[in-house]
Amino acid sequence: MAEPIIHIENIHKSFGHIHALRGVSLDVEVGEVVVIFGPSGSGKSTLLRCINHLEVHESGLLVVHGIHLKGARDINAVRREVGMVFQSFNLFGHLTVMDNLTLAQWVVRKRPKAEARETALALLAKVGISEKADCYPSELSGGQQQRVAIARALAMNPSIMLFDEPTSALDPEMIKEVLDVMQTLAREGKTMVVVSHEMGFARAAASRCIFMDEGQIVEEGPPDRLFSAPEKERTRTFLSKVLQL
Amino acid sequence: MSPLGLFKKTGGPGARRPAPGEDPVPTREELGRVPGADLGYRLDPWWWLVVAITGLVIALIVWRADPFLDIFLFVRDGVVVTIVLTLSSFGLILIVGLLGGLGRIARNPVVHFVASLYVEIVRGIPLLVQLIWWYFAAPVVIQAVGTALHISALAEYRANAILLAIIGLVVCYGAYMSEIFRAGILSIHRGQMEAARSLGMNYFQAMRYVILPQAMRVVLPPVGNEFIMLMKDTSLVSVVAVADLTRRGREFMAVHFNPIEVWTLVALLYLIMTLFSARFIAWLEKRRGVGSS
Ligand SMILES: Nc1ncnc2c1ncn2[C@@H]1O[C@H](COP(=O)(O)OP(=O)(O)OP(=O)(O)O)[C@@H](O)[C@H]1O
Ligand SMILES: [Mg+2]
Repeated sequence: MAEPIIHIENIHKSFGHIHALRGVSLDVEVGEVVVIFGPSGSGKSTLLRCINHLEVHESGLLVVHGIHLKGARDINAVRREVGMVFQSFNLFGHLTVMDNLTLAQWVVRKRPKAEARETALALLAKVGISEKADCYPSELSGGQQQRVAIARALAMNPSIMLFDEPTSALDPEMIKEVLDVMQTLAREGKTMVVVSHEMGFARAAASRCIFMDEGQIVEEGPPDRLFSAPEKERTRTFLSKVLQL
Repeated sequence: MSPLGLFKKTGGPGARRPAPGEDPVPTREELGRVPGADLGYRLDPWWWLVVAITGLVIALIVWRADPFLDIFLFVRDGVVVTIVLTLSSFGLILIVGLLGGLGRIARNPVVHFVASLYVEIVRGIPLLVQLIWWYFAAPVVIQAVGTALHISALAEYRANAILLAIIGLVVCYGAYMSEIFRAGILSIHRGQMEAARSLGMNYFQAMRYVILPQAMRVVLPPVGNEFIMLMKDTSLVSVVAVADLTRRGREFMAVHFNPIEVWTLVALLYLIMTLFSARFIAWLEKRRGVGSS
């Protein structure tokens, strides 16, 4: 078996008194789509944020793309390989859609502007909003903003994409357009770690689902098995609540 | 209290655009078709006040040449000194304020402490006292240090009034400006920095390309306010041997004993400068608040 692209071994993370991650271990292979779900405050975001070093774990081993994050000399080298999509989009409000996509390309990747523009246009076409290239983020709907955010992350050619509840700030009619884009990425073989409660997406795209609670991974498995026949009581209780909605 | 509390967090471009389903507000293009309603070309009405005060001063100088023309000719170079002092100090204040503001939010405890200490100390001392200290006390300190270290250039230091006045103004206003920049940077949502970092930008790149451009828009009103305050506060340098507008007015009055005319004209001249600055700042705000950049 090839080296996992993300190797997490028994990591811990606390915020003051709150022990947000209590010994999480997880390996993600190239091309896998891992969907993480679990109750609020269970540490899902914290886990994702540790993977691209927005939070620094206190103990345990975290290796991304062959680089040990603890004491890594150039953390930006890791971040270049890991794209992140946030619940609140976080598009740069002072820049047009086009500039949102090209900024990091030339600041970080040192791509010539013409090339960066070409990459941006191709990605905007891919997420289906070519016509909005010259708009400002505040002129777009939530769904459009999130698709721009996905394109912006993809513009750096990351080998891993992290999604932190990408659709939970969206109106129902916009959720599908974002999930469709994510599903396309999954089909293309992009390695993805997705925090989401969209069970339909998980069933269609996930190679593995993970249920987290109280800073730990409670149970994991292929989506069909996990959703229809969870082994742990806690998973069952949570799923029954979520699936009722 | 932060003056920034008055302003919107990220008054992003196109913020006036109605949400889907909301009543459409007429666009600029639509208004442009209504005669006389084109917002783009209508002059800010407060410009008329600048014109009126300027007209009044010109009228006084022309029709009451004795003493107003004499006073004006006498204080003319003081006006230049006031403007030069204001502009040169302000440029440096922006730099000090930016560094101070970044220092105040720095994670590095030494940097944070130094920046905070600077702000706390400077904010607690009246500007007039600071200016006097720089002009009368600082040269003595410099000379003493020079003598002790046998550096003749320092030991024979002679106070340069303009230079020390600029230093005094920059040190004092730099502290206030640091707080403005700090609040402006903090008003930008944390997610902006995280998004920039997650794209692989380092801290300074994220500041330079993502945070500061947005913070600048937020701080423009209070920064403009500081500019006008500074312009008025430069009158304090008249007590430390700088021949600015106020000092020239006093010199004229000491000879001719006509306080009403002198101080009325001096006040009007300051008013023209501050009103003009206020209009310029309002114009900048309008330009920066809408559309690109
Ligand atoms: N920056 C922080 N400072 C203090 N506490 C934090 C911080 N970030 C997260 N926490 C705490 O850590 C715990 C885990 O938070 P986390 O955001 O990872 O949960 P989550 O599973 O993503 O929840 P949600 O579904 O609500 O997003 C929570 O108790 C939260 O309050
Ligand atoms: Mg979360």
